[in-house]
Amino acid sequence: MEEKKGLIFDIQSYSVHDGPGCRTLVFLSGCPLRCEWCANPEGMEFRERAMFRATKCVHESQGCVRCIEACPHGAVSSASVEERMLDIDIEKCKKCRTLECTEACLNEGFVKSGKWYSEKELMRVFNRDRDFWGRDGGVTFSGGEPLLQKDFVSAMLKRCRESYIHTALETTAHVDQEVLLEIMEYVDFAFIDLKHMDPIKHQEKTGVRNDLILENIAALARSSWPGRLVIRIPIIEGYNDSDENALASAEFLSRLGLKEVNILPFHRLGESKWRQLGMDYPYQEQEPPGDEILGRVQDIFLDRDILCYVANDTPF
Amino acid sequence: MVKKLADILEEKGINVSFQYGGKAPDEIVDREIKKEPHPRVKKLKDQYLNTLSSASMEFPYWYSRKFMELDGEVPEIRRAAALKHAFSHITPTIWPGELLVGGKTYHYRGSFPMPWESEGYFMAKEDELYQNALESGSASAGELSKFGSGGGNVTESFGEVTSIAGKFGMRNEDIPALIKCAREWVGKSVDDRSLKYQKMVPEYDIKEKLMRSVVCMFDSGFTLPLGREVINYYYPLQYGFGGLIDIAREKIAEVAGEAGGDGIIGMDRLYFYQAVILVLEGIQTWIRNYADEARRLAEGCQDAQQKKEYLEIAEIMDWISTNQPRTFREALQLTYLIHIATLNEDAISGMSPGRLGQVLYPWFEQDIEAGRITEDEVLELLECHRTKMTCIDCFASTGVVGGVLSGNTFNNLSLGGLTKDGEPACNRLEMLILESGITNQCSQPTLSVLYDEKLPEEFLLKAIECNKTGTGYPAWMNNQGGIQFILQQYGAEGMTLEEARAFAIGGCLETSPGSWHELTLNGKKYTVPGGAGQPTSVGVHFIGNPKVLELVLFNGYDHRTGEQVLPPHNKKLETYEELVDTFKEYYELVVDVLCKCNNIQHDIWRKQNMSIFHSLCKPDCLAKGHHIGDMGIRYNATYNVESCGTINQINSLVALKKLVYDEKKYSLEDIKDAILNNFGFKTAEEVGSYSLASQEKVEGVDKYDQIHSDCLMAPKYGNDDPYADAVLKDYEDWFCAMCRDFESLYAKPLYACQISVSTHGPQGAATLASADGRLAGTTYADGSMSAYPGTDREGPYALFSSATCWDQTQSQNSQMNLKVHPNATKGMEGSKKLLELTRAYMRRGGFHIQYNIVDSKVLKEAQKAPEEYRELLVRVAGFTQYWVEIGKQIQDEVIARTEYEAV
Repeated sequence: MEEKKGLIFDIQSYSVHDGPGCRTLVFLSGCPLRCEWCANPEGMEFRERAMFRATKCVHESQGCVRCIEACPHGAVSSASVEERMLDIDIEKCKKCRTLECTEACLNEGFVKSGKWYSEKELMRVFNRDRDFWGRDGGVTFSGGEPLLQKDFVSAMLKRCRESYIHTALETTAHVDQEVLLEIMEYVDFAFIDLKHMDPIKHQEKTGVRNDLILENIAALARSSWPGRLVIRIPIIEGYNDSDENALASAEFLSRLGLKEVNILPFHRLGESKWRQLGMDYPYQEQEPPGDEILGRVQDIFLDRDILCYVANDTPF
Repeated sequence: MVKKLADILEEKGINVSFQYGGKAPDEIVDREIKKEPHPRVKKLKDQYLNTLSSASMEFPYWYSRKFMELDGEVPEIRRAAALKHAFSHITPTIWPGELLVGGKTYHYRGSFPMPWESEGYFMAKEDELYQNALESGSASAGELSKFGSGGGNVTESFGEVTSIAGKFGMRNEDIPALIKCAREWVGKSVDDRSLKYQKMVPEYDIKEKLMRSVVCMFDSGFTLPLGREVINYYYPLQYGFGGLIDIAREKIAEVAGEAGGDGIIGMDRLYFYQAVILVLEGIQTWIRNYADEARRLAEGCQDAQQKKEYLEIAEIMDWISTNQPRTFREALQLTYLIHIATLNEDAISGMSPGRLGQVLYPWFEQDIEAGRITEDEVLELLECHRTKMTCIDCFASTGVVGGVLSGNTFNNLSLGGLTKDGEPACNRLEMLILESGITNQCSQPTLSVLYDEKLPEEFLLKAIECNKTGTGYPAWMNNQGGIQFILQQYGAEGMTLEEARAFAIGGCLETSPGSWHELTLNGKKYTVPGGAGQPTSVGVHFIGNPKVLELVLFNGYDHRTGEQVLPPHNKKLETYEELVDTFKEYYELVVDVLCKCNNIQHDIWRKQNMSIFHSLCKPDCLAKGHHIGDMGIRYNATYNVESCGTINQINSLVALKKLVYDEKKYSLEDIKDAILNNFGFKTAEEVGSYSLASQEKVEGVDKYDQIHSDCLMAPKYGNDDPYADAVLKDYEDWFCAMCRDFESLYAKPLYACQISVSTHGPQGAATLASADGRLAGTTYADGSMSAYPGTDREGPYALFSSATCWDQTQSQNSQMNLKVHPNATKGMEGSKKLLELTRAYMRRGGFHIQYNIVDSKVLKEAQKAPEEYRELLVRVAGFTQYWVEIGKQIQDEVIARTEYEAV
């Protein structure tokens, strides 16, 4: 059988917050959502892409022009003499599929995000790492949206099952229901992200309505899937932290008999990545929600008998 | 407010440990809180933090006076009488609020020089004695070493205080005594006397050049001739000093005039036993002087509580000056005094209490059972003990104390491991020792867990909890790996599996042999461990591996000093095999020369500066009637070859293999040219930072950019890359075996010791750029198994895979420093996962791992505003030290380490 390949933009080992035990976390490229607060924007698109780290660039300090010379699209140029900062035409970069700049740069100013792995290559990483996971660990497929690369992910999940490796999936659930349910057969633990209960509001900030997501959560909850499901909700002040939304979410989960929620306070750690991709970060001014907000939302879930864990303070 | 997970689960009636089954220990919940010591300890600790390192001339003055007086006396007796005289004359100081008393000198914090070891290095730089030391190379590393200028270090003279040896303040009125005393020892110290004989080694001129070029960090026999070993407290704890004097008297009656079948040193037994009596009498006087002082203080004391405490101290000191201790407090006080007495007898770093919690357990158990003491009182005493141990300073040259030790004294306390019959050895007292490390965070004693699969989860998680304070202790050592090493190294001297289980860590991570002893307390028998070997980390002190490789590339010539250090090999280095073979040949030559010279140094040491007190504490000196130098001790194969910068050397070989030999992208000449031109960068000293990340290019030079990039991008150790790991495995297999080809003065094979302590700073400073892309003068990778900062890109699991590609039990140790962001260890789950990480590395055969659980941002802030971070502790390489007392080279290196952060 032909080996499938997957486009991966990061692999983190000793990942301790994304499933039980110590894990290896695989970030797959491509996502149907465009959440404006996204912490991994390099994973939005299903392609290799260049990221520019101004702090590493030595154009200003040493007059290096390697990227300017290498770019066939004329996207990189030296701006005014006084500034001597690289001037990048990001519109051109967005269309670029060849990324000559990342080959030319010697200082990791331009770096390529995204690397193709074959099934065997990724299994080699898992088989190495599994010696260090400990009793409860395993792998977590995240992204982006891992199920956009369903063939690869499904092949990997099957291989994991054959090798006695515990698997977790972190998904937006914005995928075809059949695909989701089929793949879940090989998943032991799942996180599904829920951004907002109101379809219009959902669309406003993520680019898609939530109907499919809610249907999929319901379908999974009603299925015979034996795994553990934890709903993850990012808490963004002024967007989805209202009592009303929390109540709606809690009731939705209650109806389905779902018992675990992990609320994740918004953070700005992804900001520099937006900049490195030449994208404006809409949440630059947004503050992380305070304890008061988190406590209030948490209580709403707890009152409805749903275990609500805040941030990393989880039982896994 | 946000509820903690544990609260939520409890509310819902769910057992908090449902992930792992069983009940989690109560203490583990809520561990992110910082704790404070008991109020009296807080005061004593603050007093420490506000005290400068001080040197006094009291001990050296009285010692020298008696020693010179006894010219012509039998060496053992002369030495013992001088020690007795010096101990008897230490002015006792007792500080208000202390429960444990005594110190190296009358100062709260400090030490004193021992000019009988070496008399030149602590003199003013313009002094002739110092200049002589520089010329012979014995002070060269000092020129490249720096202390941190903060904390208690006195790096510059002020007012009535003169800075000596780069760290200590000495009152100006003491300086004439210092100079007079130092001059008395010219030509007589171990340093001077051994120099005369070292010069008879045919390759001696190479040795001097090795020292001047800092290929080797420091001499052995007159710097810190003892230490990095485990004390044995058993004999004084069992018999009391009075009992030991009686034993020595009986022995004298037995051996006087008898050779006992040994025609060479059999007659010496008489002198040894007489020396034992003299030294013990001096130590008894020293202890009783504290009793007298306590009574004197009590007399004038208005505070009833303090007066009572003084009288208690007097009673305790009087009793333990002669007898077996009766209580836990007395036993702890006695072990502390034994520790100080050992340190005052010789120039020592890394004299380690070993498995103190197991040694003191009999008293703890009986006191608790009888209701004589509460656990809280024990904790308070242990906190006092920590402060007392932290007040110890080690006096040696700047190169040694600053460059090698970062001012640390390495009093390592080991926990866990197995008992003689293979059961988990941890106990309730060890839990309290860990707790005292949490409540009273200070640099000494540093803690080490002898990790064994048999140890209970409760104990291991307590140790993890201690890690989470961010102090860096305990370090984790592989108990089974240690036992295997001990069995192999000491098998020829009769080591058994049972006895191997008594091992502990001496110094920062030196696996040291031990022994079991049957201790009787109030009729109940206990088996307690103790040290049973010679000092370790003696012999060849830190070879800068990248520097040796540099000499290979440049045909033995050192561009920094302009000297032909090693004889030219004149090889073209046309194949990778030839390169590696030449490296090995050079290395063996270096070890050979240094080994011979150090053997002479230690031989002179044992002939005129032999250890009496420390000898009598260790088996089987008292039984045999011979001191350590005459191999009275049970295990003698403790000498070693220390390496530094292994990972830069490996990465450099890998880069050369790939770029020059396999891909032939560059010629060797290209690489050498780039190295000599520092890849177009300024020197680290010009830039003022020693980490690679902050180096600056020379304006307008871009000729080396491509080659530098290729060198940096060549495969690196730490990424589970078979290309790089194969080079490491080949090196380790050779290195560990090669060391055994050399012989110590005790006619025993050497072994490999792979820790860097702080030498990766100064040795890096003496090294040109290297083929791995490291720039000139910048610090090497720390330890021996840590990746070079920023080059481990595949995460800790890949790093662990690379680190365990060779058999670590062939080496006395290896060292893995990991910097973990506090985010990754938060909460109960964070603790368990850090334990899983540790356990996983141990299971794969890693010998040692330790953590800095600290945000790099804090370290950078601390570098900018040291005054606000007086109490910040960091793990360097086998030890925990106050940030402000560490030299800049090492500070930069700790900041640059890859941080494992789970976001």
